[in-house]
Amino acid sequence: MRPRGSVTGPIVIIAIGIIFLVHAIQPGMRIVDYIGLYWPYVLIAWGVLAFLEVTVRFVRGAAIPVNGISGGAWFAIVLICLAGVSLFELQKPGHWWSNMDWGHGFNEAFLGEDHAYTVETVQKTTGAAPHIVIESFRGDAKISGGDAKEVSVSGQKSVKSVDLREADRANQQTPVEVLVDGNTVTIRCHQDRSGSRALVTTDLEISVPRGASLEATGTYGDFDVSSLTGNVTVSSANAGVHLDDIGGNVTVDTRHSDIVRCTNVKGTVDLRGHGTDIEVTNANGEVTISGDYSGTVALRELAKPVRVENLHTILSIERVPGEVRLDRGSLTAENVIGPVKLTARSTDVNIDGVQNGLDLTLDRGDIDLRPGHLPLGNMVAHTRSGNIELALPETATFQLTATTDHGDIDNEYGDGLKEQSSGKGARLEGSAGTGPDLNLMTGRGSITVRKASASMPQAAPPAGASPARAVLLLARPVIAATH
Amino acid sequence: MNSRRALYAQAIRGPVLLVTIGILFAVQQAGMLPLSRTWPLLIIIVGLLKLVERLAMPRAPYPPPGGQAQ
Repeated sequence: MRPRGSVTGPIVIIAIGIIFLVHAIQPGMRIVDYIGLYWPYVLIAWGVLAFLEVTVRFVRGAAIPVNGISGGAWFAIVLICLAGVSLFELQKPGHWWSNMDWGHGFNEAFLGEDHAYTVETVQKTTGAAPHIVIESFRGDAKISGGDAKEVSVSGQKSVKSVDLREADRANQQTPVEVLVDGNTVTIRCHQDRSGSRALVTTDLEISVPRGASLEATGTYGDFDVSSLTGNVTVSSANAGVHLDDIGGNVTVDTRHSDIVRCTNVKGTVDLRGHGTDIEVTNANGEVTISGDYSGTVALRELAKPVRVENLHTILSIERVPGEVRLDRGSLTAENVIGPVKLTARSTDVNIDGVQNGLDLTLDRGDIDLRPGHLPLGNMVAHTRSGNIELALPETATFQLTATTDHGDIDNEYGDGLKEQSSGKGARLEGSAGTGPDLNLMTGRGSITVRKASASMPQAAPPAGASPARAVLLLARPVIAATH
Repeated sequence: MNSRRALYAQAIRGPVLLVTIGILFAVQQAGMLPLSRTWPLLIIIVGLLKLVERLAMPRAPYPPPGGQAQ
């Protein structure tokens, strides 16, 4: 007798049919949601069915199939796993999937359509310096200070949902509220009420009195804050943060950000968390950047000490009248005031114009120093592996010690320095007048000491440039031209 | 008779493995334990199934050292 085929296959087909039938009869039901959540139970049910089938055959004495689940079935199971995992990932709110533009059709099929609503303007009278609290929400916020003594909130809401009724319901359940309690003004978006079938994004335009301080929390969206004299605290899971013209202290904490940009801050700047790029320009207070930023940290015109600290790098600089750029793998500084202290793993350092000395300790990386300013400060540059190049102004006074354990020393400075080789390494010592200690050391690599203007192409300093600036320009003609 | 048991042990491998996979995914989606931390369980289950299969095999497939088969 020909053995009967498996009953599991037909049952799975029937189940799929029922799912589509439900979807056809009740389109409002987000069948995709349920599949995304419960597909593992389909696998379990399938497994149990197949197990029972084999067991029943065994007990009855019927023919037992070689495999409980055939090769083709395993292929289908792998497909189900892949589809299930991706559906599940898609549904997580704020997940990168849902923020990607897959084209209209895709969005509509899996996440629903965007429905736009207007947030009615809410105005509340306040004092001259209220404390504004924006409770956690999803969306962009633009906050600007003005002369009026009132808080005014307006904006747009976008509700992602499969049908309009659902979107209307979600819109009504998520009003934007402005609550005034004494000096505290709370702005609340109530997005948590929308339920799982609609994703509400509220973009806010908020104008507040200039004297206000701000405390804002977001899950996804950009913050754009300008013209406030109070303190600003922003924390967000995923945001770009732009702060401009802030009178108080700034604290930004992001779990994931593409850019944090602060310009014209009178107080301290404290940035922490994870993100990509950081830009701080013209800050009067101390700047502290701690956290993991994978992009570029750019610092310009900082009047107080700055400290950048992450897993591999610690950088502190007393003042930055010029510019500092710290990338993964390189540090470029132009016109800074020390003491500059850097400890880093694998970083190429390029410093052009530094006063008051510096202290560099690298695991690996080339060091290129053109101090420019006179008198020189104490300088220590250590790298375990990398080349060191030092360009000294002709009239500089100093005491130099340079050693390499494995490599050459190239003395282009002149007779004042004595070179001697020892084993595979070399040592250069000497002084010009009495001046600060310059200490260069590399475990493996060459050291070059030269005069700043010696081997440079001719370039006339522009009229009005200070002598120190002129040296700097000679040393970096390309940068000087674009500066 | 014994060979039927061996066949049965072989046939339930797939279903048992499938149920395990389903449970692991369900546990992951419930937010308890991610698959990245539970996957070795699959190896253990495969090992156990192999063991059961071995135990269900017919006895004495080798001739005894004396020479005469029983």
